[in-house]
Amino acid sequence: MTIPNLLSSRRGASPASLIILVAVTAMLFVFPAFMKSPYALHIMILFFLSTIMGESWNIIGGYTGQYSVGHAAYFGAGAYTTMILLQYKQIPPWYGFIAGIVVAAVVALVIGAICFRLRGPYFVLASIAVAEVLRLCALNLKDITNGAEGILVTEIPPLKLGGVVITDFLSKVPFYYMGLSWALITILVTWIVQNSKLGYFIQAIREDQDAAHSLGISLSLYKNAALLISAALTSIAGSFYAIYIGFVDPPTVLSLDISVQIVLICIIGGIGTIWGPVVGSLVLVPLSEILRSNLIGETIFKAGFVTESSGMGVFLKEHLAHSHALIYGILVVVVILFMPDGVLGFVKKLMAKKKQ
Amino acid sequence: MIVFLQSLISGILIGGVYALIGIGLTIIFGVMRVINFAHGDIMMVGMYLTYILFTVAGIDPFVSIVITIPLMFLFGAVLQKVFINRIIGTLPQNQILLTIGLGLIMSNTMMLIFTSDYKILSTSYSSSSITLAGISISQPLFISFVITVAITAVLYWFLMKTDTGQAIRATAQDREAAQLMGINVKWMSILAFGIGSFLAGTAGALISPTYYIFPQIGSTFTLKAFVITVLGGMGSIIGATLGGVIIGVAESLGAVYISSGWKDVVVFVLFLLVLLFKPAGLMGKSRM
Repeated sequence: MTIPNLLSSRRGASPASLIILVAVTAMLFVFPAFMKSPYALHIMILFFLSTIMGESWNIIGGYTGQYSVGHAAYFGAGAYTTMILLQYKQIPPWYGFIAGIVVAAVVALVIGAICFRLRGPYFVLASIAVAEVLRLCALNLKDITNGAEGILVTEIPPLKLGGVVITDFLSKVPFYYMGLSWALITILVTWIVQNSKLGYFIQAIREDQDAAHSLGISLSLYKNAALLISAALTSIAGSFYAIYIGFVDPPTVLSLDISVQIVLICIIGGIGTIWGPVVGSLVLVPLSEILRSNLIGETIFKAGFVTESSGMGVFLKEHLAHSHALIYGILVVVVILFMPDGVLGFVKKLMAKKKQ
Repeated sequence: MIVFLQSLISGILIGGVYALIGIGLTIIFGVMRVINFAHGDIMMVGMYLTYILFTVAGIDPFVSIVITIPLMFLFGAVLQKVFINRIIGTLPQNQILLTIGLGLIMSNTMMLIFTSDYKILSTSYSSSSITLAGISISQPLFISFVITVAITAVLYWFLMKTDTGQAIRATAQDREAAQLMGINVKWMSILAFGIGSFLAGTAGALISPTYYIFPQIGSTFTLKAFVITVLGGMGSIIGATLGGVIIGVAESLGAVYISSGWKDVVVFVLFLLVLLFKPAGLMGKSRM
């Protein structure tokens, strides 16, 4: 009863869905008090990170219809800026977040100037090319970025928030709240964008660029505005990732895989909707963790399909942990072929059918 | 001067192989308007096929293309029939993501089977070279260039002179009009994807004696293939041939005169410049 309301409300949330939203948020805030397991917190942090990444891409990809497959550029810009400032200049990462946003915004303006003249497939290709140039720069500018070796952070300075001083960055709790807050902020920003004039303009651009243009909507202004917001949020995700993991190098923050992964979160959840990226993260994060921790392999052994010592068993044990990218691939193909509107769209469709 | 000529020639030689990859991508795009993001991964499959044939059966990589070509053609045709066919004419982002997904499946399946170790296919002539007027030319690169030229020539003949080739070109020019003229466009699409993937697979086979073979090699070549086709003009075969050679030379000169780390940046900057100032590509107007 209530879930369909949450799913179907397009403008202005229904009371029931608001209550659920508040309840879930409250539960998320008290979660660390009950759950002490660092692993559970780790998964939740990954979930928040993935939500931030997905929501931020959604603004430019889902709402504006500009399918950037180069968002690693902003992710990497945020991550590298924060890490370089922290490790070489001893500037606390909290300022690094802001510096990262500035750098990402500059990168976004350059990318916007180059890519927004192009449409469709050309835009996609150009966005990939710019991100690749950035990756190669990070790899080759060894004086600034330490090249392929990457940057390892040794110590995070304490954070003063009002009267509270947080120093304990070895535990996952500060990162949990940081991730949760950023995820909520990104969702809020997406909601504001969706219901603002900017939101209507960019959705008009998505539906028909030329028609929007003929109605007097400045294409370059609003596309760039959407890209700036998206880039800033992605850079926050990058900075957050960098201080959480404590290490950056070109393959982990600037590769094409990151860009693809960001797009996947949205596509799998449902593109151009507020909750799409959240659903996408709910599907992808546990899935990749299950695959990484080899739960599937153990289940197969326990169920007795294959014995652990047999040739097949050894093979499965060695390889299944590395197969998450394969499952990603299969998931994408299945989603595109059978659920082109993402999981959220698919669920909506099923419900609409049931109602009939 | 010798250094310049040396790198120019090796650039042209490797450019020939790049051209094969680019032509494959451009034919697929021309006929189906689908950008194949799995193109480099198809090439990677060709590399592994060559590697298996070499290690298991001991067949020389340049001889084994006789087996690789039909297998890769079949592989592409099946891919088209099962997956790509369903998304022709749908939203471009769905096409892009589907091919990205297929690429991920290919590279990760290879990783499951062969692990991500770098494999080296070393033949007796892998590092030997021919010296011609003071310029030494890598022997495997030279042989692969000769084979590339032969394949390209046959392909031109096929597309220009045979009925099937003309039907493919007609489909590329106007899918609906071609259908009205009685051309089986579905069959042409399968044929085009088959040709595209056998070209990519052959390119993979040809470079396998000189490159490391590993599952993630695909994405680099996918990007290169895009650069080549956009440079030449999407859908133009002559353009892709030209684009391949230009990129090969740019890379080779960039590696010598700037540094090998920055040579890919040269390629991408060239790509962005073309996108900005001549988005239709060098041969953009003439279709196939």
